[in-house]
Amino acid sequence: MQTNFTDAQLTDPKIERANAILRSCVHCGFCTATCPTYQVLGDELDSPRGRIYLIKDMLENNRVPDEKTVKHIDRCLSCLACMTTCPSGVNYMHLVDHAREYIEENYKRPLFDRILRAVLAQILPYENRFRLAMRGAQLSKPLAPIMPAKIRNMVEFAPDKLPPPSLNDKPQVFPAEGKRIKRVALMTGCAQKALDTDINDATIRLLRRHGCEVVVAKGAGCCGALTHHMGKAKQSHATAAKNIRAWMSEVNDDGLDAIVINTSGCGTTVKDYGHMFRTDDLAKDAAIIAALAKDISEVLIDLKLSVIAPKDMRVAYHSACSLQHGQQIKTHPKTLLKNAGFTVLEPSDPHLCCGSAGTYNLMQPEISKQLKDRKVTTLEAVKPQVIAAGNIGCMMQIGSGTDIPIVHTVELLDWATGGPKPRKITSKVSLPSHG
Amino acid sequence: MEMPQPNTRVLNRKAHIVQRLQKILPESAVIFEEQEVRAYECDALTAYRCPPMIAVLPSSTAEVSAVLKICNEEGVPVVPRGSGTSLAGGALPTSDCVILGVARMNAVLETNYDDRYIRVQSGRTNLSVTGAVEQNDFFYAPDPSSQLACAIAGNVAMNSGGAHCLKYGVTTNNLLGVTMVMMDGEVVEIGGTYLDSAGLDLLGVICGSEGQLGVVTEATLRILRKPEGARPVLMGFDSNEVAGACVSDIIKAGVLPVAIEFMDKPCVEAVEDFAKAGYPEAEAVLIVEVEGSETEINDQLAKIKKIAMKHKPVELRESKSEEESAAIWAGRKAAFGAMGRISDYMCLDGTIPVSELPLVLRRIGEMSQKYGLKVANVFHAGDGNMHPLILFDANKPGDLELCEEFGAEVLKLCVEVGGCLTGEHGVGVEKRDLMLTQYNQKDLDAQMDVKDVFDPKWLLNAAKVFPLSSSDDRRAI
Amino acid sequence: MNLKSETDVASYVSDANADGRRLRIVGGGTRQSLGNPCKNEAVLSTTGLNGISLYEPGALTIVTASGTPLADIETALAAEGQRLPFEPMDHRGLLGSSGVPTIGGIVACNISGPARIQAGACRDSLIGVRFVDGTGTVIKNGGRVMKNVTGYDLVKLMAGSMGTLGVLTEVAFKVLPAPETSTTVIVKGLTDEQAITALSSALTAPYGVNGAAHISKDATTLIRVEGFEKSVAYRAAQLQTLLGPLGDTTIVNDDSLWQAVRDVEPFHATNTDVWRISVAPSHGPQVAAVLRQINDDIQVVYDWGGGLLWVSTPNDMDVRAALPRISGYAECLRGTAEKRVPQNAAIAKIEQGLRAKFDPKGILNAGIMG
Repeated sequence: MQTNFTDAQLTDPKIERANAILRSCVHCGFCTATCPTYQVLGDELDSPRGRIYLIKDMLENNRVPDEKTVKHIDRCLSCLACMTTCPSGVNYMHLVDHAREYIEENYKRPLFDRILRAVLAQILPYENRFRLAMRGAQLSKPLAPIMPAKIRNMVEFAPDKLPPPSLNDKPQVFPAEGKRIKRVALMTGCAQKALDTDINDATIRLLRRHGCEVVVAKGAGCCGALTHHMGKAKQSHATAAKNIRAWMSEVNDDGLDAIVINTSGCGTTVKDYGHMFRTDDLAKDAAIIAALAKDISEVLIDLKLSVIAPKDMRVAYHSACSLQHGQQIKTHPKTLLKNAGFTVLEPSDPHLCCGSAGTYNLMQPEISKQLKDRKVTTLEAVKPQVIAAGNIGCMMQIGSGTDIPIVHTVELLDWATGGPKPRKITSKVSLPSHG
Repeated sequence: MEMPQPNTRVLNRKAHIVQRLQKILPESAVIFEEQEVRAYECDALTAYRCPPMIAVLPSSTAEVSAVLKICNEEGVPVVPRGSGTSLAGGALPTSDCVILGVARMNAVLETNYDDRYIRVQSGRTNLSVTGAVEQNDFFYAPDPSSQLACAIAGNVAMNSGGAHCLKYGVTTNNLLGVTMVMMDGEVVEIGGTYLDSAGLDLLGVICGSEGQLGVVTEATLRILRKPEGARPVLMGFDSNEVAGACVSDIIKAGVLPVAIEFMDKPCVEAVEDFAKAGYPEAEAVLIVEVEGSETEINDQLAKIKKIAMKHKPVELRESKSEEESAAIWAGRKAAFGAMGRISDYMCLDGTIPVSELPLVLRRIGEMSQKYGLKVANVFHAGDGNMHPLILFDANKPGDLELCEEFGAEVLKLCVEVGGCLTGEHGVGVEKRDLMLTQYNQKDLDAQMDVKDVFDPKWLLNAAKVFPLSSSDDRRAI
Repeated sequence: MNLKSETDVASYVSDANADGRRLRIVGGGTRQSLGNPCKNEAVLSTTGLNGISLYEPGALTIVTASGTPLADIETALAAEGQRLPFEPMDHRGLLGSSGVPTIGGIVACNISGPARIQAGACRDSLIGVRFVDGTGTVIKNGGRVMKNVTGYDLVKLMAGSMGTLGVLTEVAFKVLPAPETSTTVIVKGLTDEQAITALSSALTAPYGVNGAAHISKDATTLIRVEGFEKSVAYRAAQLQTLLGPLGDTTIVNDDSLWQAVRDVEPFHATNTDVWRISVAPSHGPQVAAVLRQINDDIQVVYDWGGGLLWVSTPNDMDVRAALPRISGYAECLRGTAEKRVPQNAAIAKIEQGLRAKFDPKGILNAGIMG
């Protein structure tokens, strides 16, 4: 498309990048076909093409963002299905992240929203605070009906039970079982380890069993995705920088073959560290870390898993957006599950987001619920015994809408290679075996 | 792009019209603020843009009828819009118009496999019509390259084609009936589930009328059983002429492939980047696809390969798997968008008799030198429907105008050799001012007479198709 | 009057328009009784407009003057191994008419045959027209390329307009290769309902069936496949397997079977009314049943998988009155009933409006479409 930035504007590297992205868009509209919010709302303004147009106008004219523009951009899930679909290679992710930053800097949200967003940004990335907040939410559930809608949603979102912190998430080195083939860092993140410790436990077992030395680096924590997608760039960069330094320390110490990430939402962000820090002092290190970042399925597909206890169960594989679109990993998890003996089923419209999308299910409850219902319907339609996903957000979202047990892909693979049966499968109602 | 003067009386009544619309539609369905209407200022032809006065998103035929009634009473021009993927500016607004978008109307209403039809709301995307019947091994045949996103409404308006229309025909050959709302709000049912309607072929004239006769809200479409299998074969030739001759020979031999697509070198290079299908490195690449049982496919391909070998291809390769076939087609269908990785472009749609292919390609090459603008060629070789993509720089002053001149010269050449201005994209605004190179004023009068019958006030998409000077008297009410 | 060119036709019609003289447009004159009787003061014959002006086999395109005999066109195409895809019916047997059918009449009445279910009707192969409207103005639309969406599609509008919008002077077609061979699977002994179900099975199977008919008198169901020899043999065998469980199946190579269906031979010599009814295929048997309830003495030839019924009825049976509930269209070909009636008021209004534009004085085949 034609763009109208002045030469002065283009001296800002962020604007220069935005201009390049905008020029590559030909406004063909293919992206509308796979955008979840366009499916639900049918409005050009809630499609990637329309958002690109809004962002273009906002940046070209240095506008103070208006309420409508912010509303439509806030509605974007950042599922990145549009990037998979786009034939012109438009990097929508970078554009919308830039726009969110611009909005955060230039738009004064209503007071309630400002406070809410600030509170989320101060709680979610920090494990202990997150635990406390979850506890608080559990206790206040009886009061939920009288709370304002957004708060009520968050309170209801809190799970009934939280696992106790796992010792495995503390900084330490787990030696490989038998000969050491690889040395990897495991990102333990933030929200996931508070909500579900089984995932990291299973990951560590699985990696060690197959010759990986697993290190939980000291000083690593939240990847910064949540705050990044709120446009709070300073905060997201701060936590990201901590990770970069923590992992570089391991790189420079005994070396790393990969940084393993089992929450695909985080994986997408860590792989983008190179871009995020491109004008920063940490640019070189950030690029190294970004290149080392791998989703757990990418690492596992290289290791020959020793499937000693194949399980013939019907597994519906839910392809998280961040994994299939953000990281373009579509087949590895299914291949791994198939090789482990599982019957892998796919829901229809697998490209559509479940509506979790980071804090989306908290900030945009109506759309999130519509997408959740669609996703649950398509998953239940294939009559699985268990649902597998590669991202904690999806697991929580889908789990809140179905009785079918939902586990992380890695837990099933751990089970099939000698690990314990995932707790979630025994505790939830299970379907007849070939229903 | 010259557009009619906006009606100031209408513009002055905007607030009142918005109010009337808000009474009959939910809040989210009436868009009128400056920040928001801008997103509706163009379709996929971004060279021409004009924000509408209002955009509405009705969810039912009844709502469409109510909207048109109001617009009719107020004398407000209406521009219907499907998915906004038109390459001809079919949904380009005027500043006094209401954009009527049917994207929220996308349900499947009825599927009947015994009688082989499906009824859908017109806002449904083309590919998702096939999506609704593919679990039963059926499909909807017309497959414009934008099928992922384009709406049936637009397909009916433009009489869209696609790569597989060589065998299966275009939209008008697969359309059985429509529910259409006239400009005064009256809802008419035309055609239906039976093949031969009484009277005049109104369905035939409505299809391809570019949203100027009424707003189609529902369509009954022919669905077909999927063939047992299909396989494309890739051929690379060292010149366009040779490729053209090969196409001609295949047709004359009585083999009717389901699709014959052509891409030249610049196009293939851009597309390979996106699809990674392993296209041959050659001056001209053909994708020829056949259908049938495994044996039938092998037989047909054997015949085709034999013909192709006579023309000494640089490479000749059958697809070996479904993934490979999918990649070969994904690349071709994304050709326009893939060019976007390299450059801005204007996509032409001129159609020529197949025998004139070598001449026209050569002349386009010469024009490319003359105008200093590169051209990539992709097209439906089986029926002569060309898509020269003229590459230019939208940010370079004067480039767009140069591009338009070049495009006009190409289209005039197409008409000159016995072809036409547009094979499947429609006239829209893009070719409007060239209409008199193909038709004379009387020919256009006959067409405009038809519009007079359906939309006497000329409120529906009036600035399209016919040169403004030709339609002047009729638009001035 | 001896009109030999488009210009001749244009000036003739222009004069007639000035006088308000109503014209009856005639090609070969073999389908005169289609449509309602029209009042006229003179006859305009198109037979002087004769000749193929362009034929490019490699582009599958043929352009001819409207008065060219169909037979000449078919001969020219056959010489290059090609044919018209829509298998136009010959009405002479059914209507008891004589003459040499011209392509103009076929287009004006949108005449097709059994292959319509796969290849489309005449209007689906028609890609260009030239005509003289009711004021004597020469108008062209479409052209000689298959893909053409330049402006409105008056080509489709002209097909089946029975001369009421203009006198066709030239028509252009997309043609197809003629198949190497043709084979028919015959099933015997099926009732109408069973037959239509069988035809539906055949048409929803992936075997490219291009003829699907049933003659209820002999309980004979016919399914045709065409193409290259090996392919045809394979597909016929598959169909035979598919339909075997339903009844007695055989495979024959007999094109005359389809000519009999196309031209409705079973009703040629009967002294009955003949109706042509178009419905959704699965409604076909229902229509027949309703009519049989009124009078058992009717015969049906089903074509288009059940979507077209040729019904032979006792004289003066009011078929239309019997079929209000079923969605479709009934045309009387032989009989005293009104041949054609408009669909409904809304559509009638649009059609009247269009005729008024193209033929302001109403001089072309006035009243023929009801």
